Amino acid sequence: MSYYGSTDYSYNSDFNLRIRDIKKGNLDFGWLDNARDTVEIRRRDPRRGLMLEDVEVGDYAVENAPEVVRENRGLAPRGAILAEGSDQPDLGPSLNKKSDVWGYRVQRYWEEAMSRQWNASTDVPWQDMDKYEIPEDLEYAFCQLCTLLSEVEMIATDLPSKWSHHMNSHFQEVKAFIATQCIDEARHAEVFRKRALANGVGLLRASVRGEHALKGILEADSYSEGSVFLHVLGEGFILTLFRSSEFISPTPVEQRMFQLVMQDEARHVSYGLQHLKYLMDNCPEVRPQINGFLDEAERHLTGLFNPDQLESMIVLGGKGTSPKCIKRGVEVVGAFQGKQIQEYFHRAERAGLPERKERSPLLELQERMIAGIQAANAG
Amino acid sequence: MTIKFPSVDFFQELARRMEADAAEFEKLGFCDTTLGIQVNGDAPHLYALTFEVFDCTDVRELSSPDDAELDFTLAAPLSLWREMFESIKKTGHPEPAFTLNSLSHVGDQMAVVYDDPEGHDKFYRFMATIQAFVDQASDLDIEWA
Ligand SMILES: [Fe+2]
Ligand SMILES: [Fe+2]
Repeated sequence: MSYYGSTDYSYNSDFNLRIRDIKKGNLDFGWLDNARDTVEIRRRDPRRGLMLEDVEVGDYAVENAPEVVRENRGLAPRGAILAEGSDQPDLGPSLNKKSDVWGYRVQRYWEEAMSRQWNASTDVPWQDMDKYEIPEDLEYAFCQLCTLLSEVEMIATDLPSKWSHHMNSHFQEVKAFIATQCIDEARHAEVFRKRALANGVGLLRASVRGEHALKGILEADSYSEGSVFLHVLGEGFILTLFRSSEFISPTPVEQRMFQLVMQDEARHVSYGLQHLKYLMDNCPEVRPQINGFLDEAERHLTGLFNPDQLESMIVLGGKGTSPKCIKRGVEVVGAFQGKQIQEYFHRAERAGLPERKERSPLLELQERMIAGIQAANAG
Repeated sequence: MTIKFPSVDFFQELARRMEADAAEFEKLGFCDTTLGIQVNGDAPHLYALTFEVFDCTDVRELSSPDDAELDFTLAAPLSLWREMFESIKKTGHPEPAFTLNSLSHVGDQMAVVYDDPEGHDKFYRFMATIQAFVDQASDLDIEWA
């Protein structure tokens, strides 16, 4: 036990006397002291049931809460009454300012996440795998891709988990949304693991470069830095990688798997974009810090372009290992990577960081890749 | 009964089928987007399809993309839309090269046109619903324009 509270309730005589009194039927209804006025709740769209946005009213609404939360450092949900002079424990949240965590429309992303959950055991048509014969070289390449993707999903589960308890409980919607991200990412790791093993080949080589890139996400100094690295930069790239993987999937079974994972991934990217935008709109003084962080994060990210992943994508993209197939695979993969970088710049611009396009080390990487593809085509 | 493609009637029939197959679309989850379907050719057409909750609630033909707030538009020549729907007809699902994602990902055969990256990302957020929506055309008798 590492926390011994300031009061031992089991030996507190006042407390025990009070409990005995209550059991005799002497209620004092103290929990109704200072109760707020009742509120009127309206279900805006009955087809959606009761939405989080429907209960955003009066003192319960985040819009009406102060930008910096000072009075509540425990677990009291936003709008609960804190007893006067009470000894609420301080859980030490370090993210107490709305712009530290908030994203526009986060309540909507929560509802969407809850409504669009799926099951990796039953929503992928595993039973159809027997219908298709996958050439051995493609199966091995696909399992190498699944290995890298499983590693990526681990960090995407760990980053939100790492920061959740640092968030003030006033920001319940953000804590809830990143909890859905944890379950989404756990499901992604599950589905890639299952697919790697389903035909017997299993997992192949873990990535040293890739894991260094992923460590950079986990080690970010602030939640916003971790979020911009994971949600906007990393998951933006992974979203395009999922689209590419759907495109080069050997059978409709893998295509279905990628259609489902890309939906979750795009939702995570959208939250990240809205958090970055909220931060830039409300706390513009952090812009140099975020830009300095991204200068390094973008360097880190190039670790995800590791040779094992690149080769496996080329084999899948070209549908084989003959020189002709490999040539075709190089072309296909080159087109994906240019797209990844451009889509990231669009998102950064939309969030209020158009300067990424000028200062990003990714541009040089892209030029090197284009030159490499041209050289391969000439050869 | 044959139904003409492209036409408002065609997409309204898909919307009607979506409502009739509520169980499948409720399982896929909330879908909230207004997307454009652009059919290029001698007589180009642009349609706005509005999805809300579990349904396609509005289908309109537009004379200009500015007539609706479109999150993104899928633009392709009539011949490609035809190949896609004919592929879906074979088994109820498209062949691998004819999923909406595959058609729009590489090359310029089907373009995803957008202004706002958040609108663009809705294509991916609701991919399974949008794919299931077009797959419902598998048993339609289509008259090609
Ligand atoms: Fe993921
Ligand atoms: Fe994700």
